Amino acid sequence: MIGIKAHRRRKTGRVISTLVLVIICALTLLPLILTFLYSFFPMSEMKAFLATRNSYDQTRFMDILLAPSIVSLRQYYDLLIDKPVYLSLFMNSVKYTVAILAGQIIFIPTLAYALSRFRFRGREAIFFMVMMLMLLPFQVTMAPSVLTMRTLGLMNTPWAVILPMMFAPFYIFLMRQFMVGIPPDMIEAALIDGAGTVRSFFHVILPLSKPILGAAAALSFADCWNMVEQPLIYLANQQNAMPLSVMFNSLSSSEQGVIFASAALYIMPALLIYSYFQEDILLGIQLSDMK
Amino acid sequence: MFVKKKSLWLFLLPGLLGLMVFHLVPFIGGIYYSLTDGTVNNNLVWFQNYQRVWANAAFQQGLRNSLELSLLSTPLIFLFSFILAIMLKSLRERSLPYRNILLMPYLVPSSALLIIWMVLFDYGGIVNRLVTALGFERVMWLESGALRVPIILLYVWKNVGFSVVIFSAALQSVPDEFYEYAALEGAGPVRQARSITLPLIMPTAFLVFVLAWVNAFKIFKEVYFIGGAYPRDEVYTLQHFMNNRFAKLEYQDVTTAAYSFALIVMVFFAMIYMRKGVRGVDRH
Repeated sequence: MIGIKAHRRRKTGRVISTLVLVIICALTLLPLILTFLYSFFPMSEMKAFLATRNSYDQTRFMDILLAPSIVSLRQYYDLLIDKPVYLSLFMNSVKYTVAILAGQIIFIPTLAYALSRFRFRGREAIFFMVMMLMLLPFQVTMAPSVLTMRTLGLMNTPWAVILPMMFAPFYIFLMRQFMVGIPPDMIEAALIDGAGTVRSFFHVILPLSKPILGAAAALSFADCWNMVEQPLIYLANQQNAMPLSVMFNSLSSSEQGVIFASAALYIMPALLIYSYFQEDILLGIQLSDMK
Repeated sequence: MFVKKKSLWLFLLPGLLGLMVFHLVPFIGGIYYSLTDGTVNNNLVWFQNYQRVWANAAFQQGLRNSLELSLLSTPLIFLFSFILAIMLKSLRERSLPYRNILLMPYLVPSSALLIIWMVLFDYGGIVNRLVTALGFERVMWLESGALRVPIILLYVWKNVGFSVVIFSAALQSVPDEFYEYAALEGAGPVRQARSITLPLIMPTAFLVFVLAWVNAFKIFKEVYFIGGAYPRDEVYTLQHFMNNRFAKLEYQDVTTAAYSFALIVMVFFAMIYMRKGVRGVDRH
């Protein structure tokens, strides 16, 4: 008998919550939906629409476009087939992202394993360092990083962009916090069965870490796909080697007609990755020690 | 926990080496940079660089803006994500689609969103339609100091979902019985949030707050996309100062500004770490 009043209150609470959430989610989706919608407008119509921007006529507003005069794939055709620039930049982004993720999958879980399941001197100091580095914005180490890259002879090569990201401190932190939470009995059971540190890594820790691996992969993908500062600095002289994220704005400001299709194409892989890994992100963060 | 295992090196070294070379060495090298004069001899000038940079008007402007932008956006993200997480919890398993939608922008590249943002916030755009519908004067969102509004909104739009996910994870661990008991005692939802939820998820709340704050300092990409390398004074951030000095090859100024800034970040960091230490003692 938990009081009918309390029960009713909880019910109205749920209705209000649902209502507010629906509105907020709609607002969240609106910019994405509009971007995709506008990508199917004919180029001329979009050009005309964008030309009405920056008018300071008090009496007039821009139109609210909700349906194209004719559904057109012309923008996509123009981007993918007529102009090879976009596609080649897109492929650059893919290359950087794949290379970085491949490196991360080797270096980050192993380091996190060492920092979470081994006891050794200096462990706390290393973790301290990881957390500190994770909080710094890129610009803090920008100038000395360039010097480091020059010394290593990597300046103006793709490796200058790829290598530092392979050891991104945030993902080391994330994965370590997850591995710390894996119950010790799981490993002890493996040890009793005669497994060593290597076997317990591959057969116990990695399979149990699946959610955080997925989460880190998705979040890191977003980082790589959106990176701007690093290529700008490390690849200063090479427009051709830049990823799409850097060139997107200069590319799109000259191509008003196809701007929404190029935005939509650029967003698409991020959304696909997200829809594939979204459960992992929720679960991985939930099981990590986020305190 | 493994003790004294040789295999430790196998797992530790590759990652640690990379971390050292590509992150720690530049970090330490930067300290040296900020204390020398950048001539061929690289004379040690101690704090002269700091004195010069701190006296620089552009630096002060950038620092002030970075602080203000983060002071505006951090509480927004914090409060907003806390309230959303509580609402999501009340929906239980039906909350999943909402949660997925809220996190989605985190993965979306902000530069791709820029164009639609400019359309929405144009002088004749939908936002101004709303503003006039509510009976106010139109605002020049993109051409005046009000530019901060679309930038902060873009930032909040993108980042609130991640905080919601962290908060939701923490809320999962609060037992339902606590709320049932509180409801029996006549506590309303606000009282429940304040007296049960907040104290129990305090450590996580702290992390969300610090991450939101530190990330708000990184509010640069968004400004850079909208305003370029030399945007309006109101949105000229510290990173603009650093990037522009960098472009002029004034590395001393860049690193000095960077470390002045890093000092602020360090204070936050010390705060998290101290908390960790204190909690560690509690456990024993």
